[in-house]
Amino acid sequence: MKYTQNQITFMQFIFLIHGVQLGVGLLTLPRELAEKAGTDGWIGLIIGWLFSTLASLIIIQVMKNYPNGTIIDLLTHYFGKWFGKLASFIFVLYFAFLGSIVFVREGLFIQFWILPQTDLVILLFLLSIPSYLIVRNNISILGRYAELVFFLTTWMLFFYFTPLKEAHWLHLLPIIKEGWKPILTAAKTTIFSFLGFEVAFFLYPFLQKKHKASIGIFIANTLTLVVFLIVTIVAFTFYSPDEITQYKEPTINLLKIVEFKFLERLEIVFLSLYIFVISTTVLPLFFATVFSASQLFGKQDHSKYVVWLLLLNLVYVFFLPQSFDKNTQLQKVSESISLILVYAFPLCLWVYLWLYSRFKRRPLK
Amino acid sequence: MLFFRKYHNKKKQHSSFQIQNNDISKKLISSLLLENIAEIQNIFSDTPDLVVKNIVIKQTKCPAALVYLSGLTDTKTINNHILSPLLFGAEKEEKDFEVQVSVGNVKEKNTWQEIENAILQGNSVLFMDNQNKAFIFDTQGWPQRGIEETTIESSLRGEHLGFTETGSTNIALIRRHIQNRELKMKEMTVGARGNLKLTIMYLADVAKPEVLKELVDRINKLDVDSIINAASLAEYIEDNPYSPFPQLFLTERPDFAAAEILQGRIVTVVDRSPNVLVGPATFETFFKSMDDYGSRWQVASFIRLMRYFGFLVAIFLPATYIAVISFHFEIIPLKLLLSVGASREKVPFPPFIEAIIMEITLEMLREAGIRLPAKIGQTVGIVGGIVIGQAAVEAGIVSNIMVIVVALTAIASFIIPNYDMGAAIRMLRFPMMIVASLFGFVGLTVGLMTLIAHFIALESLGTPYGSPIAPLRFPDWKDVFIRFPEWSMIKRPESTRAIQRRKANSNRPKGDEH
Repeated sequence: MKYTQNQITFMQFIFLIHGVQLGVGLLTLPRELAEKAGTDGWIGLIIGWLFSTLASLIIIQVMKNYPNGTIIDLLTHYFGKWFGKLASFIFVLYFAFLGSIVFVREGLFIQFWILPQTDLVILLFLLSIPSYLIVRNNISILGRYAELVFFLTTWMLFFYFTPLKEAHWLHLLPIIKEGWKPILTAAKTTIFSFLGFEVAFFLYPFLQKKHKASIGIFIANTLTLVVFLIVTIVAFTFYSPDEITQYKEPTINLLKIVEFKFLERLEIVFLSLYIFVISTTVLPLFFATVFSASQLFGKQDHSKYVVWLLLLNLVYVFFLPQSFDKNTQLQKVSESISLILVYAFPLCLWVYLWLYSRFKRRPLK
Repeated sequence: MLFFRKYHNKKKQHSSFQIQNNDISKKLISSLLLENIAEIQNIFSDTPDLVVKNIVIKQTKCPAALVYLSGLTDTKTINNHILSPLLFGAEKEEKDFEVQVSVGNVKEKNTWQEIENAILQGNSVLFMDNQNKAFIFDTQGWPQRGIEETTIESSLRGEHLGFTETGSTNIALIRRHIQNRELKMKEMTVGARGNLKLTIMYLADVAKPEVLKELVDRINKLDVDSIINAASLAEYIEDNPYSPFPQLFLTERPDFAAAEILQGRIVTVVDRSPNVLVGPATFETFFKSMDDYGSRWQVASFIRLMRYFGFLVAIFLPATYIAVISFHFEIIPLKLLLSVGASREKVPFPPFIEAIIMEITLEMLREAGIRLPAKIGQTVGIVGGIVIGQAAVEAGIVSNIMVIVVALTAIASFIIPNYDMGAAIRMLRFPMMIVASLFGFVGLTVGLMTLIAHFIALESLGTPYGSPIAPLRFPDWKDVFIRFPEWSMIKRPESTRAIQRRKANSNRPKGDEH
């Protein structure tokens, strides 16, 4: 009831979730898959998509039990106030952790590819300005942003069809050349690429047409899969299976071959615009953080926490020097936490709620 | 925002105007003529344009006095239709005065406040002995210009009448387009000293009551001396005072105002200002011109697309040029790079300084051209053109390419049909140039992101400013980038929040049907 004032439309719901899923991961995805499963890695993507879709559908099923509140309201409702507080504390930590990893990684990519001589703190400070302006608003503004950015940046995908002129489709054959085992290890990687749909925990109560939530989250996952598949397959067919693992970010390197009469090195322009795509990952995560924080402290207004969150990030980057290796390590840590929070936790909760409803109903009869 | 509100409230506490003659507000007039005249002369001391004409009404033999301000009244009406009947009218048995004078609008009032206001507004007031009420005749007539062709928003096919400084004329100009009983008007007065009359015009069965209430509330909250023109009223009531974008549409075209009322928007006619305010405005309104509806839809769409392209060019072209030259020259193909390099060879400044020099020169030229009389303006144009175009390049201060970039930017910013939006865009390119010179493309992206962040959160009278782009409303896109044929637009745009969506039935005969 308390979230009826600012709602998000069905499209905004899709693009918010899709936006969170699509981010920095895409830049390194083809290499990571090739390392694990060679050119069969794309099958792993489909398996990952299956798992993530299942998990997101479970999340929606869980949220249906308490349609007018976020996950924190739901937990408070079923388990009491203190459990709710604990949960919001965990969510604050989780989303802040995840958000700041992506945020720092975004800065690292920019530094590495475009502005090697600029200090990371300055870059992140620069990125904090629009982040603050967007996250301090309510969810509908964030929804509008995700929607607008999706349509502003979709055309970038079409540049990936240019390398197909020199594609060697034979690279993909034979399919399943080394059995299922490497593909399953690749699938483990891809599961993490699809992470981000857990923001549905916080988006669901704001959705206007709640009966469409399952379809929406399915479309969002599928959109992400399509983008991943296109980029991965183009990379696999364009580069030879051995070459691809030598590039750190094959997704960017691919664009080096696109040239116009008036423009070369498209990847610099591309990566600059890719900041938009990454921002749709970071901003909803930050929003989820400050939103949980405001629920934790029982405040209505979350805009103050945005400043603190961004400041904390800057201070952290300022005092602890960052590198790709360190960031990747942190990402590994976050992945195992995600596995619990995004896959195990909703599943247990779903089973519990199902039992709870059966258990509750029986005495009534 | 919070700071602003605090400031605003503080201002309000200070601004309870010390208007001297507040004590007369409730005082009633006396029944003695002499006392009344003394009071009038007391209120209007040091007012040489006040006329007090003592007469004896022929019919009743009753002494009376006619009071008015000479500049604000129409002398002919007073002489022929008030004084003449009163002084020389045939003696009849009737006691009713309204029959005697031949003026349409006659009111009877008895408080000094009302009488004072009436006189200040250009009415004439008749006091009579032994009557504790006064007659107010509508004799307004002040110096005004006729209706002329619009100056800023000129058009080829649209109406050639522009609003004038008289509110009632402006209302009539709009009403001529909408002859419907649902066209309602709300009159309000603003300003303790100026007594500015505002008329809010809207279609009662189309405009959303919440939007109207929001507008009325904001105007009611105003506590000022006076408001001189519509633009400053807009500044008082707009949603975000720190935004570079205009949030209410100022127009001098009656046809545009009428068209917007028909879409469900609300028009505020500001007396004494040749512009009216249209709200709630959305971003795309500022890219429309009445000529779009006067030409073939394909042509109109082409021009519209050019305007949006011009918008992007005007904000980002100089910034992109700076970013490319100072950071990412590797993205230019070699041949082009060589020619750019050759033209920049002699230039001692970094591209940012070069761009700033040219942009500032251009802005000064533009401003000088507006304020100067037309004859001198031409000279400025020639001098400016030669200095910018040739001398600066030959002297090696700026490069040829920079001149091209700046000229393109200027043309692109002038293609925006709305002056306020064009000015906002010209301003916005400076911060973009600064971030581009500091961070290259990353700076540009962050600049664009900040702009978008501001754009999507902005509202006009509580209605999303970015609609139908953000929030995305595809049904409204029929009249945004492409102007669809008129007969296909059967619904009012959602951005105006009209309560009656459907505006027409498309019963256009199809093709060859006879």
